[in-house]
Amino acid sequence: MKRFFRELSVLGALAAVLVGMAIFAPAFFSPQPLLSLLTREAPTLIVACGMACVIITRQIDISVGSMFSVCSVCAGLLAARGWPLLLVLPASVALGALLGAVNGLLVAGLRLPSIVVTLATMVTLRQGLNLVRQGEFVNLPDRVQWFGLSQMAGQLVLVGASVVFLVALALAMRHVAAGRFVYAVGTDAEAARLAGIRPQLVTFLVFIFIGALTGLAAMMNLAQSPQVQPLSGAGLELKVIAAVVVGGVAISGGRGNLWGAFTGLLLLACVSPALIHLHIEAYWEKAIQGAIILLAVVADGLRTRKLNR
Amino acid sequence: MKKILLHLCTAGAVLLASLVTATAADSKLVVAMLPKSKGNAYFISCKVGADKAAKELGIQLLFDGPTDSNAAKQNEIVENWITLGVDVIAVAAENKEGISTALRKAQKAGIKVLTFDADAMTDARSFFVNQATPEGIGQGLMDEAARLTNSEGEFAMIVASLTASNQREWQKHIEARLKEKYPKMKLVAVRPCDDLKDKAQSEATALLSANPNLKLIMAICSPGVPGAAEAVKQAGLTGKVKVIGLGLPNENKRYVHAGVTDSIILWNTGDLGYLAIYAGVALAKDELKQGAKTFKAGSLGTFSIAGDNILLGKPFIFNKANIDQFDF
Amino acid sequence: MSVSPDNKNPRDWKALLTRHEMLLLYVLIAEWLFFYFAGTTTNRRGVVVGFGTLDRQFDILRHSCEIGLLALALTPVIITAGIDLSIGSLLGLCAILFGKLWHDGGLPIPVAAGLTLALGALAGGLNAILITALRLPPLIVTLGTYSLFRGLAEAITHGAITYTDFPASFLFVGQERWLGLPTQAWIFLGVALGVGLLVHRTTFGRAFRTIGFSLEGARYAGLPVARRLALVYVLAGLIAAIAAVIYTARLGQAKADAGTGYELFAITAVVLGGTSIFGGSGTVHGTLLGVAAIAVLKNGLACLPVVMRMNAAEEMSGLLTGALLLLALTASVLPKILSRFRTPHHAPAP
Repeated sequence: MKRFFRELSVLGALAAVLVGMAIFAPAFFSPQPLLSLLTREAPTLIVACGMACVIITRQIDISVGSMFSVCSVCAGLLAARGWPLLLVLPASVALGALLGAVNGLLVAGLRLPSIVVTLATMVTLRQGLNLVRQGEFVNLPDRVQWFGLSQMAGQLVLVGASVVFLVALALAMRHVAAGRFVYAVGTDAEAARLAGIRPQLVTFLVFIFIGALTGLAAMMNLAQSPQVQPLSGAGLELKVIAAVVVGGVAISGGRGNLWGAFTGLLLLACVSPALIHLHIEAYWEKAIQGAIILLAVVADGLRTRKLNR
Repeated sequence: MKKILLHLCTAGAVLLASLVTATAADSKLVVAMLPKSKGNAYFISCKVGADKAAKELGIQLLFDGPTDSNAAKQNEIVENWITLGVDVIAVAAENKEGISTALRKAQKAGIKVLTFDADAMTDARSFFVNQATPEGIGQGLMDEAARLTNSEGEFAMIVASLTASNQREWQKHIEARLKEKYPKMKLVAVRPCDDLKDKAQSEATALLSANPNLKLIMAICSPGVPGAAEAVKQAGLTGKVKVIGLGLPNENKRYVHAGVTDSIILWNTGDLGYLAIYAGVALAKDELKQGAKTFKAGSLGTFSIAGDNILLGKPFIFNKANIDQFDF
Repeated sequence: MSVSPDNKNPRDWKALLTRHEMLLLYVLIAEWLFFYFAGTTTNRRGVVVGFGTLDRQFDILRHSCEIGLLALALTPVIITAGIDLSIGSLLGLCAILFGKLWHDGGLPIPVAAGLTLALGALAGGLNAILITALRLPPLIVTLGTYSLFRGLAEAITHGAITYTDFPASFLFVGQERWLGLPTQAWIFLGVALGVGLLVHRTTFGRAFRTIGFSLEGARYAGLPVARRLALVYVLAGLIAAIAAVIYTARLGQAKADAGTGYELFAITAVVLGGTSIFGGSGTVHGTLLGVAAIAVLKNGLACLPVVMRMNAAEEMSGLLTGALLLLALTASVLPKILSRFRTPHHAPAP
């Protein structure tokens, strides 16, 4: 119980928000909008899982937004050209993995700080995409949306898939060796190396992992809409990092889990619809989100101080 | 010593290469066009018309802008063009007052300045190519909304951002028209979508859920219209909640045909770009002067001028009946 | 003879540092010459235009003052192995506060400016407290304040309000020239001098480098680590506020989205200038060269006929800046990597 205090407190905050909504704006809980909200957030959850792994290994990746845009546009173009979805999905994932590998090479291979590397790749990718695409939407054939299923079925598939993925990955992190390596490298890379783990390899693979997940998320986003806007994905990195950090994954590495990331994501995703339901003006949104992040971070800091005393 | 020699050689090679690529004086007229943001399909469609005009007139067209709406970048680009010595600058101003500082400098340097789509301050430019006055647009939208809801009920607005000048201008006129003519209608919320279709969809979904009596969503930024339409469609409220907005035909065709979106209000953006270029060239050649009442622009015909506004005409309503005739 | 911690002769150490800046200087000169020849033409009215004009050079100077100030603010921060992602948002917040103090508060411009500087320092202080008192990683703190400051700016103005109509005497600071140079250039030079002296000539600067080199080591050596760290972040906030005032003067307006995206260019300039992202070393003149290199690149690209024909000046400059940052980073660690290949691996003890 005490060990998961951080994650439980975020869960508590989320519960408080939901209770508040139930009292002041019960319309928040209508099934269809909630399902739509969850479906919209499903791709973000996938990326958040990847980001949690990255941050646990004491790195960071702020290029996911641009990677997402590039994968979305490429997948959209392939689909528009008649490729079956069964081929577009692995193509998108592979592209994401490739982009992630570039980050991984620079961070793990050249030992460069991930913040600056991913800052550079973020800008390069975004501007490159702008140069090529000039902001033009990609129109998708009808068979793409909801994988050709009905809307309800498609939404359930997407939400279900993301939850299954979350559970599977969470279990893997605990019980599969590779998962434990991630925690080991994040806690103390040198100790991990002495224990026989190769920290650079783990770091490299983690970046490929998040890249692949971004490709998957782009595909999931593609299946929700008849068009792709190249700008989509802008701001994704902040959203995901905020969710993960709020959920208890420490930026100093080595601690945190996916459930926290999940709860953090839900909490932050609720802010906008909550404001709409409470009829509060839109311009408070960013300030509130920034405040939540800082609160979470300060709480972490205070707890560490207490432990170290 | 060796290192310095090496560096000198590299510099020399670069110099040689650059001398080869240096261009001679160009005798073509240069018109520089500045959209609010380059990645926006709306401005890209303006550029198509502008390119056509440039070809017909035999001038060189420069088209550059911030990749996302950024007033400071617009100023920098204008200042760059001043030192590049262009002949005409045509601007869609992100921020009225801010851009005027740079435009006045351009005028002082002998460059002709005109604005299109979104105006700057009147003393900073010679003419404003107006696709429709902000009042015309605001009233057109409000009237269309009233028509679809029988002049009563709640509606919500989705804007691009809370800061863009012409968005606020349109909002002002919509609200004025609302107050003046439609007392039984109520604007319940205004939400920004940051020019993102996906965000517009999320906002619209929540709006629909929070306001069960909502009868119409008005999206005055072009990515917002398909976003709102998708939200209405997914909520199963097609037909019960109307969707209208300012947007491009191509992005909205499928929703208009599906009956989700009723009308898109816009103007022929290609014509806007075409007219802007023709007006700019005429300004540079001194063929268009203050006080003129009409202006002829190539194959588009004659346009009337009200004061210093060259009017493209009334806003155009795209709906099921006519949207297929357009391809932009 | 005393041995420095990294076992190198102090004089070699200095030569190593100057070598990086000399390289950057050559690159700067080379690109300047390239753009001069490739980007200067005569237009149809017979006037020489493009990169080679004095006006253009002054414009480059004028446009790079704000980013230059942010880069100067970041230099001590990065030297202490920290980072501050919030300075761009802080610029926006300070610009708004400045506008509000003058417009709604009715304060005279100098007073409003002074108060803004104080508020900027205070905001920097928020970062400082969280980083020093709670020992939180600078990355995540400034990521949070990056959102918070921008959010506050939007909330205060409801996103919509812009402050304009500043008096001409104020706009003089951003738009006119004084004694031959654009006015804000003098402010920029002043700040550059101040920061340069702080980093290179005072014990504070030495403390920054030590902290960046080894935080724990600095603590054990008895340095007031918390106070020094707090100083760099408060200073960063103060300089961001100065940049905000200049920005407002240059554009003639104060808006909530001011400074968006400036962090990238500032960080690139600092890293390009030779300051190690890992902390422990760095120079202010390196940062200045970095700022100059990026400004010349950005502006020069917009003058090249081929880029103009592609209508791609904005994207190209963003693309190249990103690529440049990657190149600079790679180049900075290349010596380390190469030396690792040259030294033989240690054989395990028998």
